[in-house]
Amino acid sequence: MNAAQQDGTCSNHAEISDSSEQKNPSPFVGHAKKLIHHRMLIGIKDGRFFLGSFYCMDKQGNIILQDAVEYRSTRRTSPSPMEHRAVGLILIPFSCRTSCHADCSVEDQLSLLSLKDQN
Amino acid sequence: MADKSAVERGKDVKVPISPSIPSGNDTAWVDVSSILRRASDDIQSDELINGENFNLFAAMSALEIMDPKMDSGIVSTYYSVDEAIDNGAAPIPLSFDRTTDTQCVIDIMDHLLSCEATWHKGGSLAQTVFSCIYLLRPERTSSHALLHSFCRVVRTTCNAVVSTVSDVRTNEEEDLFVMAYGLQLKADGDEKCLSMLNAVEETLARQLKACKALSSKRRVLEDIEPLQGNLDFEEGFCRAVLCRLRFRKHFYHVLTCMRRPQGKGLEVAKKHILSCLSELDSMLKSEEFLRHTYACGISEDGLEDKTTASGRQPIGFDSTLNSRSAAPTPPRAIKLLSWKRAVNYFQKLLHDLEIICSNSLDPVFESALRFVVDFQKFEPDLVARAHIQHLLVQDGKLYGCEPIFSVICKAALLPEGAKNHELQKNETVVQLGQLVINLLRVLCTNTAWQRRKLGKILQDWRIIYVQLELAFRKEFGEITSTSTDQNMCLKICKHILIWVEEQTYSVALRFLVLGFELELYATSEYCMVYWYIYVILIKLTEKTHLRMMLSNESTGRRKSKKKRDIVNDMGKDYQIPPTVLLLQCYIYVAEGLMMMLASLRNENKLFLCVGPFNTEQERFMQQFELLQKAFVPDHASYFSYRETISNARFSTLSMHNCFKDAQKIAKGLHGNFANDPDRMVELRRIEQVAEHNAVALNLVCRLGTLEPSLKISFEFVHHPHFAVASVKRS
Repeated sequence: MNAAQQDGTCSNHAEISDSSEQKNPSPFVGHAKKLIHHRMLIGIKDGRFFLGSFYCMDKQGNIILQDAVEYRSTRRTSPSPMEHRAVGLILIPFSCRTSCHADCSVEDQLSLLSLKDQN
Repeated sequence: MADKSAVERGKDVKVPISPSIPSGNDTAWVDVSSILRRASDDIQSDELINGENFNLFAAMSALEIMDPKMDSGIVSTYYSVDEAIDNGAAPIPLSFDRTTDTQCVIDIMDHLLSCEATWHKGGSLAQTVFSCIYLLRPERTSSHALLHSFCRVVRTTCNAVVSTVSDVRTNEEEDLFVMAYGLQLKADGDEKCLSMLNAVEETLARQLKACKALSSKRRVLEDIEPLQGNLDFEEGFCRAVLCRLRFRKHFYHVLTCMRRPQGKGLEVAKKHILSCLSELDSMLKSEEFLRHTYACGISEDGLEDKTTASGRQPIGFDSTLNSRSAAPTPPRAIKLLSWKRAVNYFQKLLHDLEIICSNSLDPVFESALRFVVDFQKFEPDLVARAHIQHLLVQDGKLYGCEPIFSVICKAALLPEGAKNHELQKNETVVQLGQLVINLLRVLCTNTAWQRRKLGKILQDWRIIYVQLELAFRKEFGEITSTSTDQNMCLKICKHILIWVEEQTYSVALRFLVLGFELELYATSEYCMVYWYIYVILIKLTEKTHLRMMLSNESTGRRKSKKKRDIVNDMGKDYQIPPTVLLLQCYIYVAEGLMMMLASLRNENKLFLCVGPFNTEQERFMQQFELLQKAFVPDHASYFSYRETISNARFSTLSMHNCFKDAQKIAKGLHGNFANDPDRMVELRRIEQVAEHNAVALNLVCRLGTLEPSLKISFEFVHHPHFAVASVKRS
């Protein structure tokens, strides 16, 4: 890990991402960045869902959600009422993620669709 | 639920989102997994996708989902208690075969005992007692009278224990103990648990009588359905269930009687304690029968760890169901006590409670102090300690009946009329009362926490002394009434001030000696510790003696001599009180040990405070920081310590043999304490310490320099606070 990331301050990090964007501008990275702080609903292998604000993601696809709430049904076989409880700042490893949805406005949905069409 | 492999392939998958997790207004849930996958492909391996205000350090504190140490919501067995019940995890009845049903109920009873003991010893309720699904849904068991009444009484008992411990509020380990996290400690109808239990007990007693009559071929007087189907086992099962039920009934009575105010229920509680112990014995005896009835039979290995008498796993327990109702992170893993160890725990608890019930309730401060200190020697657990605290201090009064000011007046040897004086309304005097209550409470806590607290309150006691002096001066200046009132006021002031000083040194002494019990001192530090104990003891003796002499002056009477007093009155018109003589004895022992250690350091270079990390002065400050901060006593410092010990030599010691003086005094005190068995034990211990140390000292003096191969060690074989030197040839 380079010294700037160890430092953990955003200004240093912004420099790095800026420089990488300049070298290799990716529309997907840009769009993913736009999703930061959006509400995100992630499904887990064991059937639970986590709803929180998208905080960050790494190359392996591990996601951190802020102010997350855990949802689970009270029965394995649906339908059944959902229980929920607050869990705070959580990291969801890519390996246990089964689904990932973001709360998007109509405009965002349209731009997402166009992005998918292009590639 | 989405297909993981489809996600991995990068395809958009239709995921059924529950309508109970709505998106915002004018927004919708959009699958972004492919976008994120493409984005992650496009970034470098050392990059993150994050926003401004991102803080890596904060991100590191995120709980990792599906990590068992951090994620308390991982689904292991069932999603919820209801799902567990739907899947038959806690059937009612437990079996349609009545014999199996009975066996299963007994297993549940035993496992609950193990859970309860584990909870008392530091587990959480959620992982122990409330891992029982039957307890989590109390209404379900109503059709099964035996299980229902048993669960009720367990729940009510736990509730009673939680109440007592939380009322006492000393903030040691009970912080976690009383956390129920929303678990149902009280259910409707629990107050009727005893009547329900009595009804079930009566039926069982009749069933036992019937089967005994049958086996002895006597005529059965009444037609009663047996407990279970196998007539050969009927007596064994009846007895096994009866003793378990009766134990619970008596234990509940013990707890409720002990909670009665002013110690009014202690005598009755004692009777119930004896019954409990008898039922526990019966339970232990039932073990062989229960193991024998377990058809499959189990190997002898691991039997010691089993949580039931029969050795079987009980049905209806799952500790993972509650993990979400505990703290956000999973609770630490605990191991349940085995059933045998649980029974032993309750036997010890009952013995400790019995000692509490034997308290004479004499509202004298010193007796209360001694009672607590002696009680602590049994190393009681949290529940017992909570009960003694509850007994000692109720409604701000000693044993709930004697107001604290009155207790202080009596302790300070003031005349009877003093306790009604207006001075008790003085704000500072009220604060003193609070300090006294707090001191009693602190002495009931576990040794480690107690020592820390004692060190901290030293400053409070010093400050209250100064404040009292000022307050009394002001109060005295304002008195305009009769001279008798003035006299009384002056008397109270003097006595209380001396008493406060005496208590301060008493607290300091206890702080120091507890360090030995907790093994906090290295042998190289014994010299300085005994020096400090010596200095404190001198002050303590001075104040104790002063308090007693002041009382003699005030009353104009000499302290009455006991008839069996063998102290030779050689024309002296004043006898030193035995309490003071005992303290003098301790002073000699402490001085002897200090000088012996100092001489060993100075002449033989043994037990020196050397080390790469701290100098002796730093060690001194580490050990005695709290005492130094509170100036207890004044002018005691590292330098005065060095001054005292620097010239210690064996040659001087032989002339001034402290240990012999200690022995002489101790011998003389035998007559004074003949009626007090605890004090007699203490005297004998001190005599042995003095005697053995005198012998060791003699040896070292004669042989020390001649035989360098002599090994000298200090052990606490006769007394927990005063070491005995042991001289051996290596």
